[in-house]
Amino acid sequence: MKTGIFICHCGHNIKHTVDVKKLSTYFKMFPSVTVSEDYPFVCSEPGQDMIKDSIEKHGLDRVIIASCTPSLHQELFKDLLKKSDLNPFLLRRVGIREHCSWVGDDVDKNTEKAIRLIKAGLYSSSHYVPLEEKRVDVTKSALIIGGGVSGLSAAVFLSKMGMQVYLVEKEAELGGHTRNLKNIWPIGEDGTLIIEEMEKELQGRENVEIFTSTTISSFEGSFGNYEAVLLTRAGEKRIVAGGVIVAIGFSPFDPQIKPELAYGIDKRIITTMDFERSIDALSLPENPRIAILHCVGSRDEQIGKPYCSRVCCINALRVADTVKEKYKDSYVESFYMDVRAHPRGGEEFFEDTQEKGVLFTRSNIAEIIPGSKGVLVRGEDTLFNELFEREFDLVVLSIGMSPPEDNRLISSLLKITLDKDKFFLEAHVKLRPYDTAVKGIFIAGACSGPKDIEESINHGRASATKLYGFLNLGYAFVEPFIAFVDMKRCSGCRMCEKACVAKAIKFDETKRLVHVEEAACMGCGLCNATCPSSAIGLRGYLDNVIDDEISALVEAV
Amino acid sequence: MSEDKTDKNQEIIGFACSFCTFKASEMAGSLRMKYPDGVRLVQVPCSSRVDPAFVIKSILEGADGAFVAGCHPGDCHFIKGNYFTRRKIAALKEMFDAFSMKDKLRLFWVSAAEARRFVEKVTGMYNEIKEKKNAGKTN
Repeated sequence: MKTGIFICHCGHNIKHTVDVKKLSTYFKMFPSVTVSEDYPFVCSEPGQDMIKDSIEKHGLDRVIIASCTPSLHQELFKDLLKKSDLNPFLLRRVGIREHCSWVGDDVDKNTEKAIRLIKAGLYSSSHYVPLEEKRVDVTKSALIIGGGVSGLSAAVFLSKMGMQVYLVEKEAELGGHTRNLKNIWPIGEDGTLIIEEMEKELQGRENVEIFTSTTISSFEGSFGNYEAVLLTRAGEKRIVAGGVIVAIGFSPFDPQIKPELAYGIDKRIITTMDFERSIDALSLPENPRIAILHCVGSRDEQIGKPYCSRVCCINALRVADTVKEKYKDSYVESFYMDVRAHPRGGEEFFEDTQEKGVLFTRSNIAEIIPGSKGVLVRGEDTLFNELFEREFDLVVLSIGMSPPEDNRLISSLLKITLDKDKFFLEAHVKLRPYDTAVKGIFIAGACSGPKDIEESINHGRASATKLYGFLNLGYAFVEPFIAFVDMKRCSGCRMCEKACVAKAIKFDETKRLVHVEEAACMGCGLCNATCPSSAIGLRGYLDNVIDDEISALVEAV
Repeated sequence: MSEDKTDKNQEIIGFACSFCTFKASEMAGSLRMKYPDGVRLVQVPCSSRVDPAFVIKSILEGADGAFVAGCHPGDCHFIKGNYFTRRKIAALKEMFDAFSMKDKLRLFWVSAAEARRFVEKVTGMYNEIKEKKNAGKTN
């Protein structure tokens, strides 16, 4: 066996806490290791060339790349092996950055750990066999869950590119929250107009099917051929989609979770959403006194929402601005922690509102008490360290974004992950910001974290572009990590058949043996761990691969 | 000789599901969270791939502890792989208990977003095993 080990410095990322020179010299003494090199950036063009040259020069048949985590640059290195006429499944990645150099500071200990990790790769890769990626046909259609701005913009893009689009919306009409907004930052346009514009683009297109008042009852299949059952008003409908975009938006924070704010008890305490809807219906005195509270349902550890909702500062400023425009002599006081007026032009707008006479008080609000004459706001001024009580005619709560109501349902249906704040989690925050961990399922809009309308549209289009790139070829390759049966060992006990969740294992009555239906196998390895006679194995994760990995990790260096 | 054994770093082998816990460990790395260097992971496609024999093998070959970690119940990418794991590890724990080494085996659920939880869990387990070992040394 001729193994090549390539150790990446990753600039200083790995080098400064792992003795890479020691590693490359250490591995030279193994008889099965032909090449052992360290290099500043293995993923760079010259780094790749070096690997390619080594493979050709020495006829390597195993390549171990010790660098960043396996999920990063995996495709890059697989392609590199393919270009060198080597089966890409003879590649082994060892994560000495995320699992070693970044989690400890001690150089000696880290170097020892890196040796163990690379050794585990070396031992286990000796059992690797060349595998073939299976080609599957991909249905050129997309299921978009959620008909808000991000879902609609994704649908418009995909339908223009000629893709069949199924757009599913829970509510009776499209548009989500945007439809209810009267005054959209920064142009001041009516949200309905934006939605209608997008609807107009979808109308009359043959390749778009819109299902309103529809929910999804079941979802199965794999990339390229997902099958979903939609519960429409007319009954059930089964559709096949190549990929999915989840764009289910957000739920506005419900201030009733914080009873000290007295929301819902008195109609003089409203949210920014209520204010949008009923600005003209408010019966205010001639020179009203108005309090605006920032960060309601954001940056609040106590209710489990430590994140910034991004849009609520600008909403609060807009309320202040609108009131000042309408009532010149009004008294508007804004109670804030920080003002994060993040979108373009936000800071300038913040200054404008200050010039218009809105008073900004940095404070923590303790409680709001509705009284007969006015609403009493009680809190602490955190700049002057003093307590205050003031009476207002109206209190506006600038509410943040909470995760969508259906997040749990959708995540368990589609098997995609939620992050710690219960929004959907992307596969990689920088390198794969639109993908989920499941191939062919993308996220768009505020369901992956608070976003304003502009960002949601961008996110929707970006996900649509990514999905289009996935589906456009009409075929895809699936990983060959599936189970197989060693007929000589199989005793026909049918334990694996009972265990298999995917129902991929079939029993042959005449031969009294089992066999695996390759198309149905998901590759979890449960059958492998269940089989009492080790007759069934999972490609890529064979028993001896993991056994040798364990041995390498614990054996004395 | 025995001093050598106790002074040596504790070693813990973790079997991490590639969809949740392994992702969490990657995230812990990129967030530069620190955890003991004795914690070493084996990537498995699903926690249900972990044959109890792997756990026993790790302990027999000298690991001070082993853990199996996967997605939270109900979140399994393979629908209900982790339910099988839960049953299997519960049975294995009974067996470990009979040999008074129940502490050497843990099962925990860490989702892909819970890097902090991953670090807390592995560090906690590491330190407990270390304490037990050091207590044994003084007696």
